[in-house]
Amino acid sequence: MSILYVLIPLALVVLGIAVWAFFWAVGNGQFDDLDTPATRILLDDDTRPADDPEE
Amino acid sequence: MNDDTACFHCALPVIDQRYTVDIDGEPRAVCCPGCKAVAELIRDSGMSRYYALREAPEPGVGKPEEDAGEWEVFNRRDMLDAFAASDADRAEATIYVGGMYCAACSWLIETTLKGTAGVAEADVNPVTHRLRVVFDSTVIGLGTLLATLSQLGYYPQPLAPDSTAAPEVQEQRAALKRLLVASLGMMQVMMFAVALYAGEFQGISADMERFLRLVSFFVTTPVVFYSARPFFASAVRGIRTRHPGMDLPVSIAIGAAYTASVWSTFYDGPAVWFDSVTMFVFFLTVGRFLEMRARHRSIDRSVALSSILPNTVIRVDDAGETTVAANQLVAGDVIRIRAGEPIPADGELVDGTTSVDEALLSGESRPQAKAPGDTVFAGSVNLDQQVLVRVQSTGVDTTLGTIGRLSERARYARPAFVRLADRVASYIVVAILVIAAFVAAAWGYYMPERAFEVTLSVLVVTCPCALALATPAAFAAAGSRMAELRLLVTNGDAVESISRATHVAFDKTGTLTRGEPVIVETRPLAEDQSAADLLEIAAALESASTHPLARAFHAVDTPYRPEQVETHVGAGLTGSVNGKRYRLGSADFVPGAGRYAAELADDRPTIYLGDDDRPLAVFVVDDAPREDAAATLDTLRRMGLGISLMSGDREAAVSRLAGELGIGDYAAECTPQGKLDRLAARQQAGEVIIMVGDGINDAPVLAGADASIAPAHSALLAQTSADVIMLGDRLGPVVTAIELSRKTLRIVRQNLAWAILYNASALPLAIAGYVPPWLAAIGMSASSLIVVLNALRLSRAGNDSRVITA
Repeated sequence: MSILYVLIPLALVVLGIAVWAFFWAVGNGQFDDLDTPATRILLDDDTRPADDPEE
Repeated sequence: MNDDTACFHCALPVIDQRYTVDIDGEPRAVCCPGCKAVAELIRDSGMSRYYALREAPEPGVGKPEEDAGEWEVFNRRDMLDAFAASDADRAEATIYVGGMYCAACSWLIETTLKGTAGVAEADVNPVTHRLRVVFDSTVIGLGTLLATLSQLGYYPQPLAPDSTAAPEVQEQRAALKRLLVASLGMMQVMMFAVALYAGEFQGISADMERFLRLVSFFVTTPVVFYSARPFFASAVRGIRTRHPGMDLPVSIAIGAAYTASVWSTFYDGPAVWFDSVTMFVFFLTVGRFLEMRARHRSIDRSVALSSILPNTVIRVDDAGETTVAANQLVAGDVIRIRAGEPIPADGELVDGTTSVDEALLSGESRPQAKAPGDTVFAGSVNLDQQVLVRVQSTGVDTTLGTIGRLSERARYARPAFVRLADRVASYIVVAILVIAAFVAAAWGYYMPERAFEVTLSVLVVTCPCALALATPAAFAAAGSRMAELRLLVTNGDAVESISRATHVAFDKTGTLTRGEPVIVETRPLAEDQSAADLLEIAAALESASTHPLARAFHAVDTPYRPEQVETHVGAGLTGSVNGKRYRLGSADFVPGAGRYAAELADDRPTIYLGDDDRPLAVFVVDDAPREDAAATLDTLRRMGLGISLMSGDREAAVSRLAGELGIGDYAAECTPQGKLDRLAARQQAGEVIIMVGDGINDAPVLAGADASIAPAHSALLAQTSADVIMLGDRLGPVVTAIELSRKTLRIVRQNLAWAILYNASALPLAIAGYVPPWLAAIGMSASSLIVVLNALRLSRAGNDSRVITA
């Protein structure tokens, strides 16, 4: 079980990196809009008049 | 052709059936060439899906502005420096986009801009209405981007780089970080806790136990000192102001459990409670986060107010005239304001006489005459002549800005009813602390080794969180639902009073009526021309006029084109139609009209049309009732509410409207004090009254009523006195507000009943020592969560009343 003495601190290091990455992303404005991304998947942005002039 | 006569693009009524756009293979009626152009632009860029995806639009939203030329100035290099952070060719700007109302709008804007040459990135935040755009300034100018947005039908407003980070965004970012730390911490600590509990049963080496406790301590520490900091701060504030809220027992529980666990960790105590601490903090943080989101969903009124102001303005100095951005103005600048333009700053009139429309600021619908030396206010509209104004204050220092700040402050102030709930909670807090002290003493006497654990359980299990959350959670959910239904709640306890209301009192002008003049009667005075023809001639002459009464004619469709129109300040205008000269204006302005004026002795405004020798027609202008006034009153009657009409207007006008809408109980020629007296008499008779009004003279009665509702276009004094502001042009939201308030109070009662039941049944078990701290934490959190989820049911409530609001 002594492997835990290595694995748990290692997990904490990974945790620290995850928290740091999240803080960076929040500071970068990536979580400012929590509403639009949910509907974005429903919207095509590749419809071009050249492909389909009637659309 | 669609039967629907609302414009396919902006939803305003289509008066002229001339304009149609083919979308999805069907011709759609639009109201004007501007909307036609926008709809075609959207279709031709392959984005017709916008129409399928957007939510039902508010009429008039998205209608394009006619003047696109004003954006040209933003293409200049100095504008780029003022509004964008730019390197050699890469510039980043933040633009406030007025007029957007749903996710489809942000899609339309982003997709259009990303397809524009030179634009690298475009992100729209639909909550803050801010667009962040990164572009190559050598390929495309800022002005071109703004013009594109304007062509799409939005009202763009470039923001200076320092005003980009809204306080809401800052708050949300901080809350998200706290939430993440709490949730990750909770998950980690829970894992170690499972190991420790398993160790209790299967045996665990002392070293490993100490190690796991130490690790839990490391992970819990940031959760307590970072995620839970707002609770400690609020508890300290509560003690200082002698109103300990629910954050005090929360803080004591967190602090005590953490301290005891730390002691156990380093001195091999009997147990650690790190898992309870982190779970407790996590659930509380989730609750706070949801509450914050609901609060942010209301509309950013301060920016909405400033979007009334123009973006550019002509500055006059020794070097001549230059067009500058309105927010570059400083006190002392002299600016030229043309007729029909909004005034961008508070200032002193230095040259020219004119009249201005100050309806937005004072609610006074008649134009105010201004001469040199008079003060003009930002947000009012210059009507007659171009003038020079010396700027005295700009931006947030203007009268308009001050009122904006006031409404902002009102939004953040906590409503009185919730404060009451907090006071109740603080008594309960004191009671809990006393009980906990007794419990600690009793267990300490009989069984000292379990005293701490049981006391902790009592503190956690009896935390009146559910009780304290019961009301604010329901009110927050109701508030956000109301904002979706276009009702802004500025005073939370209004929800409670509205739900108990027995009577609705209405003001007349601007509330039951539109507050906009319409032509109610056309009387030809000459034999040879028909009334319809004369009306069309007058409409042609008035078509370019910005005078308030001229708006009555703008709804009239006319085949004529006016020539040589000249405005005579304070009197009327002259012009030619089909080569014949006409005079249009007051009785004094049209020769020979004076004798009719005495005959029409009715104080409805009249406008005379004549030629150079004789009057030809008289138009009577009046204020017509809102389209849905009758339907709304019927619904209110069916809901069992009494209805009355109180107006400062003259008897004849009030009784005419009361008759039209079937209101038996009305009073005319009321002074503000008179309205207040009538209100007080009703209140003494035990009635609970909602006042709906829009004027400055309504402000006292709005403040005096149990609850008050004001339309969005009403005088700002009325708005600040009102509890609820309804957006849009209809009365239907009054019904929605009452229905939703009743539903909210039902939810509050359910929540309170549940919270009291839970606390009452859990307390004896905890005192008897049957509830370990971790179970107490789960119970407490679960009861709070149930209360919040029950409140969230309100987010879907009120759809049935769409019949009227939609």
